[in-house]
Amino acid sequence: MHYNKLILILIFFLTGCYQNETMQKKDYIFGTIVEVTIYGETEDNATHAIDLVFNEFHRLHRYLHPWEKSIVQDINQSIKNQEIYTTQDEEIFSIIKHNQELELKTHGYFNPAIGKLIQAWGFHADQFATDRPNSSLIDNLQRNLPHMSEINLHNGYIGSKNKNIQLDLGGYAKGYALDQAKKILRENNINNALINIGGNILALGLHGDRHWVVGIQNPRKPSPIASIILKPGWSIGTSGDYQRYFIVDNQRYSHLIDPNTGYPANNSQSATILFPPTESSGTLSDVYSKPLFIAPERLKYSLAKELGIDFYMIVMADGKISISSSMLNLIKWHEKIDENNITVH
Amino acid sequence: MKKLMKIILQFIKKIKIGDLLTIFIFIVLTGYLASILWNFPQGEYLKIQMGKQVIGSFSLNQNVIKIIEGPIGKTEVIIDSGKVRISKSPCTKKYCLHQGWINKLNQTIVCVPNQISISIIGARTDYDSLNY
Amino acid sequence: MTRSIIKISSQDHKVAKLASIAIALSLIEFFLPSPIPGVKPGIANIIILFTIIKFGFSTALWVSLIRVFVVSIIVGTFLGPTFFLSLTGSIFSLLFLFLFKGINGKYFSVISLSLIAAFSHIIGQFLIVRFWIIPHDGIFYLLPVFLISALIFGLVNGIITSTLLNNK
Repeated sequence: MHYNKLILILIFFLTGCYQNETMQKKDYIFGTIVEVTIYGETEDNATHAIDLVFNEFHRLHRYLHPWEKSIVQDINQSIKNQEIYTTQDEEIFSIIKHNQELELKTHGYFNPAIGKLIQAWGFHADQFATDRPNSSLIDNLQRNLPHMSEINLHNGYIGSKNKNIQLDLGGYAKGYALDQAKKILRENNINNALINIGGNILALGLHGDRHWVVGIQNPRKPSPIASIILKPGWSIGTSGDYQRYFIVDNQRYSHLIDPNTGYPANNSQSATILFPPTESSGTLSDVYSKPLFIAPERLKYSLAKELGIDFYMIVMADGKISISSSMLNLIKWHEKIDENNITVH
Repeated sequence: MKKLMKIILQFIKKIKIGDLLTIFIFIVLTGYLASILWNFPQGEYLKIQMGKQVIGSFSLNQNVIKIIEGPIGKTEVIIDSGKVRISKSPCTKKYCLHQGWINKLNQTIVCVPNQISISIIGARTDYDSLNY
Repeated sequence: MTRSIIKISSQDHKVAKLASIAIALSLIEFFLPSPIPGVKPGIANIIILFTIIKFGFSTALWVSLIRVFVVSIIVGTFLGPTFFLSLTGSIFSLLFLFLFKGINGKYFSVISLSLIAAFSHIIGQFLIVRFWIIPHDGIFYLLPVFLISALIFGLVNGIITSTLLNNK
């Protein structure tokens, strides 16, 4: 019995000295699993860098939380009380400004001011609702839909005349965190890494002598439908109806609310986009997958073009796949895909 | 001692010639299956299943305790630096606990009464991370 | 109201006697610890084999099924997964015994039957575990260990049964 313990302790020390090709650590932040993989660094360097990244994630999780105590909640409370929120915090200013730009760019399909609507559908909790909300409540909220443009930002002041604004940066925070992680890793001389926050992934450098490869989840099966390489700096994001949702009367209600109807968008099962290396590629890969998911089919493709998205794949509600030709060339299927079920754009 | 030998001889006399054939066939069969099913390198991930549901796949390169709820209670699984074992389970016989640590590909420990299985699966060589 | 009389035949006596011995052996086995989890000598099979040779297949069928049901009720696993494991193993075992019962004769003895019964028992159990209780392939990793025990205990049980048949 005691020998086992001794061997265990020995193994503990031995594995401490061992240097792996890749070092991967996981944690549970943002209400989901985050995973950072670093290639070609000593275990100490890699661990140190990953710890810094995880610390930043914890900070952002508390900082931007959609429904627990956070600066976002404080701002929401001020707006509700029709008070001005004063702060010297530059970060929240630039975040709100960015979100205002993004609402315009996505023609309102990405609208973080509709927190009340998302809350009404029960998605402001770790455990989701089990029933539909009152339809008159939803219609009321939708008719009086607030917009990011109604938020006024001045030097040190944040305020709005519309007290129905409730900021929910849930569709932005993870992507933003990816870009922050990218900065931290680069600052610490880590140039080859893969960062995965709840499925949203950003690639830095290479995996040795090959590119990083990511699997893409099948929205209806516990296996990947395909895999694709992420060249250095590229990121991938997917919006789907298969993680945060509830089912009532055989109807699925996901957390992706269509601002035009007030109801969860249900024309798609998932929308995946790849975004090229830019300053905010992580953020945009998270944000831009949403309008592609929510917008009606006839608008999806023009929207993609407008937003500069060359690589996208949408699994429609009936399971048929709409994919861009660039994406089709790069993708590697893990399932047999019927040619009749694919449309290429 | 001699008496024991005598008894054993008596027993062996019972074996007919056809039986030897049967024994031989089964030895070959077992050996063949063992060579296929047992030939495995070290695994990297742990797959935990409760009944038909896959609870998840977890890296073996961590130190963590997982608790899985099954039909008769909670089973506790410990992952420790590349190996894993079941440390607590609500079953009566506790066979699953006595199995100890596993770390080779396809090694499996099951708790039948609680319908929980933990098995070592290979490194995901087809992709580095999953987008969802 | 006419009273119906249920005739208890000598056949039934036989079945009851054999079943109770099988049940007793199973219970003894249940309470004895085994070095490798799940591996059991299956000494109740001695009774089943003895019955099939001496009294025919249908008697053995009765004895086997009664044994499975009664033991699981006594032990408390009735309708639980271990019960279905036991039942499936017995059914598979009986199936192959039925198919091969003729081989007992000049060249083959009950020892072969015992081996066949033991192996099919294990296979049946593995199949139900794989397809119902714990559905994934990792389970087959455990198969060779159980097959080896089936080999050893099948042999031992077979020899014991053979001795009993000659002596009775």
